[in-house]
Amino acid sequence: MDAVTRLTPNGESLPKIGAGAAIGHHGELLQGVFEGPAGRLHRGLVTLPLASSRAKATFTCTARRVLTVRPHDKIKAGLAARKTLDHLGVVEGGVLNIESNIPVGHGYGSSTADVVAAVRAVAAAHTARLQPSRISRLAVAAEQASDAIAFDEHAVLFAQREGVVLEDFGGSLPPLLLVGFKPTGGLPIDTLHLPPARYKSAEIQQFRVLRALIAHAVRYQDPKNLGRAATASALLNQRHLPKPHLERVIEIAEGAGACGVQVAHSGSLLGIIFDPAGTNFRQRAESVAASVQRGGFCDVEFHQINDDGARW
Amino acid sequence: MVALDPDYFRALETPRMAALAPNLIAAAFPLMKLMPARYILDRAVAEGALEAGMRIVETTSGTFGMALALLSAARGYRLTLVSASSLVDAKYQARLDGLGAQMIVTEDQAGNGDQLERLQRLDHIRREDPNCFWPRQYDNSGNALAYARLAEQLVRTLGEIDCLVGCVGSGGSLCGTGTFLRTVFPHLIVIAVDTHRSILFGQPAGKRLLRGLGNSILPGNLRHDLIDEVHWVGAYPAFSEARRLLREHGIFQGPTSAAAALVGRWAASTRPGARVAVIMPDEGHRYAETVFDDTWLGSLPGWPCSPPSEPRELTIIEPGSEADWMRFKWARRSLDQIVHGEFKNEGRSH
Repeated sequence: MDAVTRLTPNGESLPKIGAGAAIGHHGELLQGVFEGPAGRLHRGLVTLPLASSRAKATFTCTARRVLTVRPHDKIKAGLAARKTLDHLGVVEGGVLNIESNIPVGHGYGSSTADVVAAVRAVAAAHTARLQPSRISRLAVAAEQASDAIAFDEHAVLFAQREGVVLEDFGGSLPPLLLVGFKPTGGLPIDTLHLPPARYKSAEIQQFRVLRALIAHAVRYQDPKNLGRAATASALLNQRHLPKPHLERVIEIAEGAGACGVQVAHSGSLLGIIFDPAGTNFRQRAESVAASVQRGGFCDVEFHQINDDGARW
Repeated sequence: MVALDPDYFRALETPRMAALAPNLIAAAFPLMKLMPARYILDRAVAEGALEAGMRIVETTSGTFGMALALLSAARGYRLTLVSASSLVDAKYQARLDGLGAQMIVTEDQAGNGDQLERLQRLDHIRREDPNCFWPRQYDNSGNALAYARLAEQLVRTLGEIDCLVGCVGSGGSLCGTGTFLRTVFPHLIVIAVDTHRSILFGQPAGKRLLRGLGNSILPGNLRHDLIDEVHWVGAYPAFSEARRLLREHGIFQGPTSAAAALVGRWAASTRPGARVAVIMPDEGHRYAETVFDDTWLGSLPGWPCSPPSEPRELTIIEPGSEADWMRFKWARRSLDQIVHGEFKNEGRSH
């Protein structure tokens, strides 16, 4: 991600170029309302990072103030680049190029990955290295609501509309195998057009326990409690953005001895979480994949999360 | 107004987690009722039911009253508590006085706390002063909701929990904690601890030696269908266990906590490998001159006695039965199913 200062054979300096990248995610393990350090309630989430999906950005500095974004429709990434330049006190603009293999609109965090990659690329072009907390705040400023991918695979409870960490769980999520899939005909969702969920008092209180389960799961690298929290959060989310046939998916997961079910709370993705240390987990995961496919879901994929070098 | 840091309140409502056995964790509170009191007041303020300068009224003689007194002093509310003469001691009264709380004491004819008499007095106060807020700890859903914080603390400490043991008074702590835990641990066994002459689980009301446990009214927060087992613990086993907790673990809790610990210890020993959590709501200071005083204990008929190591197993509710320690498999049934169901079945068999 460092800036590259290139010289011509005559010794003239070429434009400075910075590169940045960001991973996508598979939605959230947990999303709701949580108490912050001062006792105030905040909307927050725990992202399920997906290192295999990625957005890459390059930023080429120019002497002019104009900021050019390619492709042109990466508007949020362009806005993030401009805010990063402002933060760095740079008046000049540049050319921002974005490439991404992350599908748009299903809950994979495609726009946030673009935005975070853009912020990193602009910072790198100006030989600055920004903290994840700063990148997150710039991302929120650019797209109103963001997620925790600036923290890569470090597990945090993140206030997505404020860009601040409510709780640092102190490490990464345990190694997981995720069987991910989508409902057939699921349409892309623009999360910013969704009204913010209004949670009941009992739900807000229940989120305390789910947060504690995730903290325990990270501390003791326990996929079972992670899955419990994810399933409960997915069920609570049914009142806000219901996933068709979630109950059936939970039955399939339980039948296969999976740790739990995870959903993109503001997208269409679903996933079944397995403990890669579990007995016969490969056969069980393949059986689950076949079941969900028979159940009418599509785009069934296997994702190794924090795989620790193990081969699927 | 008392200047109290919010962190001080949080510390008081945060239990010390003590391992009483390898698979038994006790959540021992300095002042557990601060948790529901703070939640109920915060919610009332948010809903506009409680405003600055108002008077808070409640019928309580225990830790909920002390919690309200602390919060009222810190937030500038007037506080009136109604209690029965048999339940108030001078030192407790002095602490409440120091916090500016007004205590109205009703005469306790039957010696069982006279909850109905206290409620009538409270009603009279509210009619005289309409600028009152009544937290209604026995029926306010916020009481149970507040205990998500305890469920959170238990999960952070233990991870998975298999069995939860707690006393039932207002119904808030056991039912609130149990509900939140069972959402994620459906197999969770919930064991309720009560004492004799309490109507909560179908026994007839009467005078009780074990203060802090036993009710003569049925709280709205008590969800019988959450309960897997009920244990009725007598005063002597609870006193004995309170002294054992101090002697062997250095834990200074009241007899209510001790009754829960006794049952928790039994639950852990009969469920090897299961993770058991027991809720201890009250500190021992109020009992320094009774339960922890040899002279006072020596004056009790029948003391000293050896506490039972096993509860007596009941197959049906036996009104008036008072073995030192009794157990009944409630099996997540309603009170009506247990009490009237049995009478109906009896009727059919005749």
